[in-house]
Amino acid sequence: MKNISQAIWVEALKARRSRLPLFTALGFAMFPLGGGFFLIILKDPEFARKVGLIGAKAQLTMGAADWPTYLNFLALGIAVGGLVLFTFIGSWVFGREYSDRTVKDLLALPTSRSSIVLAKYGVIVFWSAILVAMIFPLALIVGELVGLPPVPSQVLVQGGITLAVTAILTIALVTPIIFFASFGHGYLAPMGVMFLAVALAQVFGFIGYGEFFPWAIPGVYAQGGDLGIVSLVIVVLTCIVGVAGTLLWWEFADQTH
Amino acid sequence: MNTAIETNDLMKNFGDVTAVDHLSLRVAKGEIYAFLGLNGAGKTTTIRMLLGMIKPTSGEAFVLGTGIRPGEKKPWNSVGYLVESADSYPELTVRENLEAIQRLRPGTSPKAMDDAIERLGLHPYIDRRAGTLSHGNKQRLGLARAMLHHPQLLILDEPATGLDPAGIVEIRNLLTELVREEGVTVFMSSHILAEVSRLAERIGIIHRGRLVRELDMGELEQERQRRLLIRSRDNQAACGVLVAAGLSASVTSGNTIDVKDKEAIEHPEEIATRLVNAGHAPTMLIVDEEDLEHYFLRLIGMEEGGAG
Repeated sequence: MKNISQAIWVEALKARRSRLPLFTALGFAMFPLGGGFFLIILKDPEFARKVGLIGAKAQLTMGAADWPTYLNFLALGIAVGGLVLFTFIGSWVFGREYSDRTVKDLLALPTSRSSIVLAKYGVIVFWSAILVAMIFPLALIVGELVGLPPVPSQVLVQGGITLAVTAILTIALVTPIIFFASFGHGYLAPMGVMFLAVALAQVFGFIGYGEFFPWAIPGVYAQGGDLGIVSLVIVVLTCIVGVAGTLLWWEFADQTH
Repeated sequence: MNTAIETNDLMKNFGDVTAVDHLSLRVAKGEIYAFLGLNGAGKTTTIRMLLGMIKPTSGEAFVLGTGIRPGEKKPWNSVGYLVESADSYPELTVRENLEAIQRLRPGTSPKAMDDAIERLGLHPYIDRRAGTLSHGNKQRLGLARAMLHHPQLLILDEPATGLDPAGIVEIRNLLTELVREEGVTVFMSSHILAEVSRLAERIGIIHRGRLVRELDMGELEQERQRRLLIRSRDNQAACGVLVAAGLSASVTSGNTIDVKDKEAIEHPEEIATRLVNAGHAPTMLIVDEEDLEHYFLRLIGMEEGGAG
């Protein structure tokens, strides 16, 4: 991987200078804040109805106002909302080269195209991981403010593991979606594919085959389902297909943009 | 190896459309080669094939002696380029844009960035975001990126686009200096024919994907049509005098006598004497040389009155 460290530096510079890290951080902050909102409602539904936080006919099926419920809500948020935000990040990292017409300046350099693609994926993973890591302390603060009982360390560790594994699965599954930023020369194609993946994940989850459809697997795991080896192999293969597809596309496809 | 660029029967089809059709050209090291053609003639597709961005349907391309094929060692360390438009990262400053490309070109001297900034006159804009630059300054930034690592070969697609007349002269002088002092080869596409005729040593004319003519400036000089344009108080009568003398003179719609005979063009003073002796002294006598623009249009069959 020729000159990959410099390629990572350049990709990190582009990300740092954009406003997107701020927007995605705000987007991710919505998970613990939204969860906190639900906790307030769950703690006292009658009060919530009275002050108009929820409608009279609201069905509260989320569970009890406790730490396991809250952490489970966050994990589910990452499985679905995370896919949207990770796709957004990946679409920007690759798609902006097409919309700003800068991709051509990355194609005939001593730094190989593979290094540039891997550097981009590296930045996407790092960026996404930072956002996920940001959720955890924020959740602790929100839980404290909402007045949840002190969190037992075992619950915290288990919740943290669930959050981290869900995030890893979701980030891994975003690679084939991001491929469409290169294939479709911009932001729109991956966003469209992402919405299709989310919709299909709902269908597969509904009919009971969620553990076999890549983009339903993080949701299955976040809801407490045990993932078999088949599900894990599906996630790994999907991730490899996404990265390899992007590498091959950059290396061998005609670059006319 | 004295050839910087060589293509043999290079061809590219996009579906049913042939963008480049059996193109064979040679660009010698240390020369400025201008690649002329209308929009859609195949200039940019050729440049992209030279840079390995597009795979040829058939044929081969060599850049600095290296075949441009997937998996081959590439000569990009010694090549600088500007393709289609000078685009940069709008959220990065001029300096950051240059630093990014410097890092992606390992081995570039730390001084190179300051040199490029100086050469392209970018100093006043160094900390400005590229997105706020004028079109001309974006073009300068694109050229600075292409020249940053002191390449042996510059492949420039329309380098003068967006520059004001002073900027065009500046870039012309810069390219001439690079060729003269550093032995750089410049392969440039352009549609600013007046600019090309001042700068290029050799010209390739591409039309509908085919190289219709490749010639150096000496050959162009010989191939350019020349004519003698004359006006007198009575053009019809003066024209009659010239026709009677055996010359193929005619009065044009612009009310000028047009003489294409070689001897008349080479000795306009004899024509003047003849007309004065006949009592039709010329009020205007000009040896008009076809410019590159007209030569180009004549060659591709689109000259005024002969379009199509």
